[in-house]
Amino acid sequence: MAGYQSLYTRVQVVPPHYPGVPVQSGAFTRGTKTGLSYWLGRIGDTQIGPIYLGWTGLTSLLFGLAAFEIIGLNMWASVNWDPVEFIRQLPWLALEPPPAKYGLGLPPLNDGGWWLMAGLFLTISIMLWWLRTYRRARQLGMGTHVAWAFAAAIWLYLVCGFIRPFFMGSWSEAVPFGIFPHLDWTAAFSLRYGNLLYNPFHALSIVFLYGSVLLFAMHAGTVLSTVRFGGDREVEQITDRGTASERMALFWRWTMGFNASMESVHRWAWWFAVLCPLCGGIGILLTGTVVDNWYLWAIKHGVAPAYPAVVPPLADPALSGVMP
Amino acid sequence: MINNKQNILTVLVCLCAGLILAGCGERPPVDSQQVGYRGTAMVNFTNPRVEAATEAANAVPAALPAVPGDGPRAGEVYQNVQVLGDLSVAEFARVMLAISNWVAPEQQCAYCHADGESLASDSLYTKVVARKMLEMNRDINVNWTAHVQQTGVTCYTCHRGKAVPESIWFADPGPVTAGGGVAGSRMGQNTPATATALTSLPYDPFTPYLLDAGPIRLATDQALPADNDLNVKAAEGTYALMMHFSDGLGVNCTFCHNSRAFASWSESNPQRVTAWHGIQMARSLNNEYLVPLTSTFPASRLGPLGDVAKVNCQTCHQGVSKPLYGVSMFADYPELGAPKAPAAQPAEGEAVAAAATD
Amino acid sequence: MSMLNFERKYRVRGGTLIGGDLFDFWVGPFYVGFFGVSGAFFALLGTVMLAWGAAMGPTWNLWQISIAPPDLSYGLGAAPLYDGGLWQIVTICALGAFTSWMLREVEICRKLGIGYHVPIIFGSAILAYATLVVIRPVLLGAWGHGFPYGIYSHLDWVSNVGYQFLHFHYNPAHMVAVTFFFTTVLALAMHGGAILATANPKKGEVVKTAEHENTFFRDFIGYSIGALGIHRLGYFLALNAGIWSAICIVISGPFWTRGWPEWWSWWLNLPIWS
Repeated sequence: MAGYQSLYTRVQVVPPHYPGVPVQSGAFTRGTKTGLSYWLGRIGDTQIGPIYLGWTGLTSLLFGLAAFEIIGLNMWASVNWDPVEFIRQLPWLALEPPPAKYGLGLPPLNDGGWWLMAGLFLTISIMLWWLRTYRRARQLGMGTHVAWAFAAAIWLYLVCGFIRPFFMGSWSEAVPFGIFPHLDWTAAFSLRYGNLLYNPFHALSIVFLYGSVLLFAMHAGTVLSTVRFGGDREVEQITDRGTASERMALFWRWTMGFNASMESVHRWAWWFAVLCPLCGGIGILLTGTVVDNWYLWAIKHGVAPAYPAVVPPLADPALSGVMP
Repeated sequence: MINNKQNILTVLVCLCAGLILAGCGERPPVDSQQVGYRGTAMVNFTNPRVEAATEAANAVPAALPAVPGDGPRAGEVYQNVQVLGDLSVAEFARVMLAISNWVAPEQQCAYCHADGESLASDSLYTKVVARKMLEMNRDINVNWTAHVQQTGVTCYTCHRGKAVPESIWFADPGPVTAGGGVAGSRMGQNTPATATALTSLPYDPFTPYLLDAGPIRLATDQALPADNDLNVKAAEGTYALMMHFSDGLGVNCTFCHNSRAFASWSESNPQRVTAWHGIQMARSLNNEYLVPLTSTFPASRLGPLGDVAKVNCQTCHQGVSKPLYGVSMFADYPELGAPKAPAAQPAEGEAVAAAATD
Repeated sequence: MSMLNFERKYRVRGGTLIGGDLFDFWVGPFYVGFFGVSGAFFALLGTVMLAWGAAMGPTWNLWQISIAPPDLSYGLGAAPLYDGGLWQIVTICALGAFTSWMLREVEICRKLGIGYHVPIIFGSAILAYATLVVIRPVLLGAWGHGFPYGIYSHLDWVSNVGYQFLHFHYNPAHMVAVTFFFTTVLALAMHGGAILATANPKKGEVVKTAEHENTFFRDFIGYSIGALGIHRLGYFLALNAGIWSAICIVISGPFWTRGWPEWWSWWLNLPIWS
């Protein structure tokens, strides 16, 4: 048992490629191209593809590509089409949303118009991809849980880029497309609104973020530890409980006095993962629209701790009237 | 039994961690200084090995021997002494010698006083600039004690043996972009900016705040929304300025602020009050002394947008929270402070002498 | 009885690491074992210390209670109880309780004949905690660098530690850690959703199979890692989220004292650009 730690596949079976469960309907059909990867096979399935493209997939990729190109070409133009500087400065480069003066209006292309267009295309792309997520599940007669979890992430995306800017009355409130610049935005957002750590929905979002990692660690660890009893055959274990399920349940029951079932652990997982962006989106939407200074909000509601002063409290020098 | 996968994983993780550590180039022990209640992480870190180099770079030159302050005034003896006329002749000579060592150690007197001309001649622009800078120096030591305390400043605080101080700033037009105005606008940010400690924050945090009086304060002073139309972009501007502060002074944000409530004065350290006066001072010096010199400087000394060299925090501080580690060179050169009252001298004669030189 | 209907046959003796048969029993659903006893001891003592600290502190407001570490001036020495000593005892208790819990999990694994994956990854979480309150403070030379035990006070600590380095988001290991965190949530949502969607199909359909899971993800994104692989992936992602978090904080201070944005100057100054 001590030697049985399933971390990678030792003996790989190379099967004939599996075309997949037949698609029930639709104008497109699934592709037939498949590949095999030895290294993917070390941890998971060897088979790559076949993919079902479909019109939602195709158009989603096209719109996504358009957004990607708008962002990338603007970044490249910002370094005067210098390919070396483009790579060198890439983490710093960005496509910025329009300045505040344009409000929710249409700005000139080079003053935020490209940003608006990239955002629109990216949103269309994401929406089409969501539709694809939903339809692929339905085509196979499955539930649509993945699509609705994806919707929670889209909610957060839309709050940051559309819903909150809409309620604030300006596109300038939105996030730039860029690696370091979006991190600057995040920090500046917290500075402007008096410390986002005091935003209770931010706190909840972090709880579900860490909680999700904890849950996945617990769940994945439990499954891997019972693989030799068939613990990875989860749907079979849901419908027909075997010794793997029993050992998993007892492991947690003996450890913490409580256990989920093979099915319910996935409900815990789904909700934790969904609540992370859901709470995050609520927290961001409330910031600036409903609450303007989270630190003072926390003081007002008696949740911010007070620390003994180590220096005499200061007064605002601008109020002293002494302008030297 | 530990299998291969685990070994590979361990090696990979160690390798990555090792790379990151090597990339850091620092190691323990480091010095830490607590500046707030325990457990709040109000702490400033310094690396003694990095600090040693900074200390060496900020050593103070020896002061010239003191000289008697009595006897006739420089303004009476020499012509065209507009600022330091209240000094004794010996003091005046000592200060002039010190200035030439501080500002133009190679060219010496000739940097401001043209060869073969009278010392009173203003033919070199450098002399006109130097006069303005002396006025500025006195203004700082007399009127800005809220920022410089009794430590004061001398020419050396900024110049450090160079005619043009190492840390000055011009309005930054930003890197060249392409696209013919159709694409690629940086909107004043998103480039590795040395002015903001290599962030992608707005690359010119000086023009809006240290020349113009742009709004630095962001936070609303109540929990719920009030009349505050500063947005996240404005916050990035303030953040960029604060990055300059930290970088210029070699400190971090917790030197002045408890970051849980940046805006709150009651949560801040006393250094923040000093810094606040510093902002007012830098803005005032730029507008009162440097901008008026714009037409005095030759074009080669102006910035890419034709503006004059200006001061920011780093100009004096040069990476140290107290310039020159708080050593007061001004104490050795009190002549750079308030002008001496011409008490012992007959007031009328003084006035006549001064009028004659002007 | 607090036993599940299938439980009796699994309740066998043996598998203990320490104590032989002495503590080899259950209390209700809980397995005890030597480490159950030691864990309960540490957990109880630590909780009492926290309550004591709260009683001595200014408030019983749950959000505001804070048990703070000592001043930096105590270095790596013991501090008086009300000046951080309580924090030191709580830290010892926490590490004792966490480690006991992990070793108890090992004993339970041995009883059930299953792998050690859960205690191993729990060990990485303990390591991350120890990095915050032991390894980094030791490297910096004072227990006072640990974080305070309080719901909001630990957030103030997080905030100030971040701004000690001007802009913590530029910490490369922090970037990697956050990426692993988000990716773990993404993978968890996809896995949880896939299993639920398979077991809870469209109305009127029968429960689907692992073939449907695979087909769904192949149709959807061109690859399905498979029922076993997703758990290996999840395990790897979660493990890395913890490990990189620990790395990102242990390098902040001991191995880097300046602003994190400045760290990137090596990239800007690579010789390949010119």
